[in-house]
Amino acid sequence: MRIFNEEHLMKKIVLSIVILICGTALVAQDFSGSLTNARSSYASGNLDDARVAMQQMMTELDIAIGKEILKMLPAKFDAYAVNEKNDNVMANTGLAGAMVHRDYGTQGKLLTIDIMSNSPMIGSLNAILSMPFVGNSGDGSQKTVKVQGYKGILQKNTDSETNLTSFTLQIPLNNTLLTLSVPDSNEADVLKMANAIPVTQIAKMVQ
Amino acid sequence: MKSKILLATIAAFLVAFSANSQGLVGKLKQKAAQAAENALDKKTGTKTGTNDGNQTPDNTGNNGGTNAQTNNPSNRTGGGLISTPPDVKQNLSDAETAYKAGSYGEARYAVQQAMLGVELEIGQKVLKSLPESVNGLKKQEQNDQVTSTGYGWAGLTIQREYINDEEKLFRTTIANNAAWMSSVNMYLANSGYAQQTNGQQNWKQIKVKGYRAVIEFNEGSGYKLSVPLGQSSLIVWDAVNFATEQEVMAAADAFDIDGIKKMLGEQ
Repeated sequence: MRIFNEEHLMKKIVLSIVILICGTALVAQDFSGSLTNARSSYASGNLDDARVAMQQMMTELDIAIGKEILKMLPAKFDAYAVNEKNDNVMANTGLAGAMVHRDYGTQGKLLTIDIMSNSPMIGSLNAILSMPFVGNSGDGSQKTVKVQGYKGILQKNTDSETNLTSFTLQIPLNNTLLTLSVPDSNEADVLKMANAIPVTQIAKMVQ
Repeated sequence: MKSKILLATIAAFLVAFSANSQGLVGKLKQKAAQAAENALDKKTGTKTGTNDGNQTPDNTGNNGGTNAQTNNPSNRTGGGLISTPPDVKQNLSDAETAYKAGSYGEARYAVQQAMLGVELEIGQKVLKSLPESVNGLKKQEQNDQVTSTGYGWAGLTIQREYINDEEKLFRTTIANNAAWMSSVNMYLANSGYAQQTNGQQNWKQIKVKGYRAVIEFNEGSGYKLSVPLGQSSLIVWDAVNFATEQEVMAAADAFDIDGIKKMLGEQ
């Protein structure tokens, strides 16, 4: 029985690696193809086609960046195991930029990480962080915290029926917003989880 | 033990004396500076510094006797910035190198710069295609503008003005990937939208060279004619001091709308 489980696990790992390699190769091929298109269109004076090819390159780069970020994120947070099938990278060149999503745990107790570049919320969050008396609410539902040297806003929500507390931590990284949502937890655990996220590496990747 | 106490006393005395002497030197410097300032004031007949008679403790503070300047100098020189559109080919090569090295952030920046370069070239091409004059109004080449963010919702904006001596202005703004496209399309999609049949008509739908358009009139700013092109482009003409709607339409007819649409890659 145990041998069967190990074989099954090995198969899963090999399959994941194959999918990852194929995915990366696909992105690389698309990027090179778009680059060739951009170059040839530009050389022939077809500026609009060159621009479209470059937009495509941007989208592919956003996806590549998103995939790299997913690789950096921890495989699990204490009891929360990653749900790889829910991993999502969405490139939206322009208004919202790239979005990366990962969740951990099971339905009902789902921990989520969302990273959004060019987030429209960045301006207001930075404004709150620059004014400590605004960032910290009197009732303790909101406070500014520091995670690996980066300032963030930690919000606490208490369910009036179940009395369970959930937390949302938002950390602006230049024009990118990292959001960690943890249900039924406490502040110390949330900060411990946040510290397990390689924030500096993510900030470097998205800049 | 006694010798230690003696040494400590001598050291404390020296330190105190040194501090006191520094204070004395500081005061002497301050007095000398004030005397020099007063002498200068007497010579020039003006009071540029502090008034000795009415000096406040703040003014004679520990600034070493210097006259602190609070006004920052204003800039009177400098040639401004040289307009240098990004080199498209170079940026594409940089993007390729960065991508191969796995520096996706750098690759992204290089592609963005290349796109900016291409958009600026598109803008210049469109400007060249615009008429030299419109209904007797001459183009103001020095006011030509091409603005691009490289990518994103702000997109590419091209602007040219035509003017005559009678303060008659015909401003052409061509926007590509424009966020404000949606509002014009909303007017056009809903033919009954706020169009009046009586009273003062301030806007209405018309056609310019076969393209659906909206013309507006405002006493303060004059006529405004907006023509959406394809999926995401728009031409807006602001006509100031034009006598009639027909005159505005005649001016718009001087533009090759089909050509502009094609250059912007619209279908």
